[in-house]
Amino acid sequence: MHLSDALVSPEVAATAGAVSLLLLGAAGRKVSRQRRDDDRLVPLMGVTGAFVFAAQMINFAIPGTGSSGHLIGGILLSALLGPWAALLTLASVIILQCLLFADGGLLALGCNLFNMAVLSCLVAYPLVYRPIAGTNPTPRRIFAASLAAGIVALQLGALAVVLETELSGITVLPTDRFLLLMAPIHLLIGIGEGAATAAVLCAVQRYRPELLRNDLPRPNRRKTARLLAAFVGCALLLGGLFSWIASSRPDGLEWSIERLTGTTELAAPADAPHATAAHLQQRTALLPDYDTSFAGLVGTGVVLLVVVGTARLLRPTHKKP
Amino acid sequence: MSHHYLRFEQVGYRYPDGHEALHDVSFELTHGEKAALVGANGAGKTTLLLHADGLLLPTTGQVVVGGIPITRRTLPTIRRTVGYLFQQPDDQLFMPTVEEDVAFGPANMGLDDAEIERRVAEALASVGATELRHRAPGRLSGGEKKRVAIATVLAMEPSILVMDEPTASLDPPARRQLFELIRTFRHTMLIATHDVELIRELCTRTLVLHRGTLVADGPTQEVLAAGEIG
Amino acid sequence: MRERLTRAIDRLEAAERTDRSPTLLHRLDGRSKLLVTLVYLIALLSVPLTQLSDTLLFAVYPLLTASIGGFRYGPILRRSLIVVPFVAFIGLFDIFQERETLFRIGPLAVSVGWTMFAVLLLRGLLSVQALLLLIDSTGYPRLCRSLQQLGVSEAFTTQLLFVHRYLCLLLRESIALSMAIDARSFGRRNYPLRIWGTLICQLLLRTFDRAERIGRAMTARGFTGRMPALPYTRTRWRTADTLYAVGWSAVIVGLRFVSPERLL
Repeated sequence: MHLSDALVSPEVAATAGAVSLLLLGAAGRKVSRQRRDDDRLVPLMGVTGAFVFAAQMINFAIPGTGSSGHLIGGILLSALLGPWAALLTLASVIILQCLLFADGGLLALGCNLFNMAVLSCLVAYPLVYRPIAGTNPTPRRIFAASLAAGIVALQLGALAVVLETELSGITVLPTDRFLLLMAPIHLLIGIGEGAATAAVLCAVQRYRPELLRNDLPRPNRRKTARLLAAFVGCALLLGGLFSWIASSRPDGLEWSIERLTGTTELAAPADAPHATAAHLQQRTALLPDYDTSFAGLVGTGVVLLVVVGTARLLRPTHKKP
Repeated sequence: MSHHYLRFEQVGYRYPDGHEALHDVSFELTHGEKAALVGANGAGKTTLLLHADGLLLPTTGQVVVGGIPITRRTLPTIRRTVGYLFQQPDDQLFMPTVEEDVAFGPANMGLDDAEIERRVAEALASVGATELRHRAPGRLSGGEKKRVAIATVLAMEPSILVMDEPTASLDPPARRQLFELIRTFRHTMLIATHDVELIRELCTRTLVLHRGTLVADGPTQEVLAAGEIG
Repeated sequence: MRERLTRAIDRLEAAERTDRSPTLLHRLDGRSKLLVTLVYLIALLSVPLTQLSDTLLFAVYPLLTASIGGFRYGPILRRSLIVVPFVAFIGLFDIFQERETLFRIGPLAVSVGWTMFAVLLLRGLLSVQALLLLIDSTGYPRLCRSLQQLGVSEAFTTQLLFVHRYLCLLLRESIALSMAIDARSFGRRNYPLRIWGTLICQLLLRTFDRAERIGRAMTARGFTGRMPALPYTRTRWRTADTLYAVGWSAVIVGLRFVSPERLL
């Protein structure tokens, strides 16, 4: 569910990026404080991050379906490190995947961090896993808690993907149909994530029970309420911004077509570059005829050929000493 | 008075799970003495070494380094005096480049940039790893990793060196190189090892640990002759 | 699966090379290159989905940057193909929904849907290429340092560096573990959940042990929970960086507002 850059608009990317950055900043501060009391936290976070990355690459078979699943790790990390350290750890994994393996785009990073790390570590773990697991959970409780948290995390993630793509105006698929497509797939993935998390957590409980943070003070009601409020606030902020963007550009596609035919004037203060571009193009367009598109393609092709040619000349002759 | 001596006074250690790893261990290393610590796997060698650097604190008895008993409060001083070379260089080298890794210890001591730079250059030169400076630790050979790991310890300019299996998993040339390097050190040294050649060539004294208890302690020749190792 | 792990190790090690010398592009400050990449991505993604030639024009950036950095474009292009499946999946619906003709190439009528599909693919490919060029010319550790200089918290950049440092080791361990398990079972691609659980648990326990040992090694060298400031991690911003950032940004903004179809 790594979103590529191609699937988000700059506005959506910026909003999600701002929210994720804020939360990461908060996590950074919390973890810095936590590190001072526990000087083992730095290596522990580093190595568990690497572990989650490696574990994600090892698939297990989902019985009866012939397909395979893998661990995502948000719930697992939260249970081992606490939610804030887990957020930072999972975020580092997602960024590494983006930078080194081109898994998810750089601009879409904000969306990906939100969909995969924030929703599982800061929402599904404290609000679903903890209440079900409680203190000193039995394996059965761990299983139930992991499964529920996994499903919730993945469903929220899928919902976020749908919203982000729709608001970016990338797909013509109506929101409800898109959601109907994504929800069942992610239900399966969520079950896989839950089962995998439970398998690992039960094993940890058997061999190294001291590593599970069951002893963490139960999230007291006030804290949970505050967290929930913060989350709702974020969601409202996001929703507000998105709807503002959306209303200033009712439908990305419709808008593009209108612009193309040059019929509709645009009053979009939010989209300064777009608007300017539209004006610029309306003025420079002599014949807004469809077939100039083809001509444009040919022209671009020529430009690129020239660039490639120049590039060949520019290329340093010495490769490596 | 000298910072260079290391004394264990009736040290006992019990792991949180109840397993007793050390029992009534007493010995003293004086200035410049090079001692080998031998014993079967699981005899408690690593546990003992960890005590010498205050990485574990004894359940009973105490460890004294250069006149200062190791307690939670004296730890910063102890860390400057005792250098610890871990068995796995991959655990010891964690920074993205060799130079940053070597600078890590001195920087933690709060030294200024010029002094850090001086120590890094000196430590790398003394292990013959100057040319590895900008390399990534993960991509060095086993022998190179070991030498860099030693440099990270030397950069803190300790007076006592504690080494855990320094020759383990080194190929013969790298092992030879390490011998020659250790030979040049003037530090007081405690080396846990299975490497008989290393003991014979470099250590004047040998301590034998058996199930957490010190069962022999004397000049290497005598201990080896008595057949305590094996 | 083991093949995949091995490939990942290669990739990680390649990104660790912090060689600064080969070309001007490599010598530039990471911040400058990061800035240009961001400007490029924003400009690229703001091009409307129906503008095929405008989008295509953006290929100028990866083509030129590759040549400045002495990279061959072919391998970069090949590596960027990784985005195709998911992007194509989303784009597919456009093809069926939008059947109006947008333009004609001779007798061939190209529909709005197909154009959007092509633009989406191009966006995906170009954005990944820009990212690959950024990381290949900067190296992962230096990029992390740049992030820190840009104000990302030290706790986080340290985490980014540590994950990278230990990932190779852990991937090697997982290969060894999976080989040990395969030796006792038939060759299969995926493991049943039970065996998978054992494997992953083994890996996790080793992970914890390693964290314990690294923690000791850090403590032994005076670590008390805060990463020290090292003299080697600061990079200097030079005139060349300003020129590069301003120059490319201007060109990219230019690309965004120049439409080849209107000029012809």
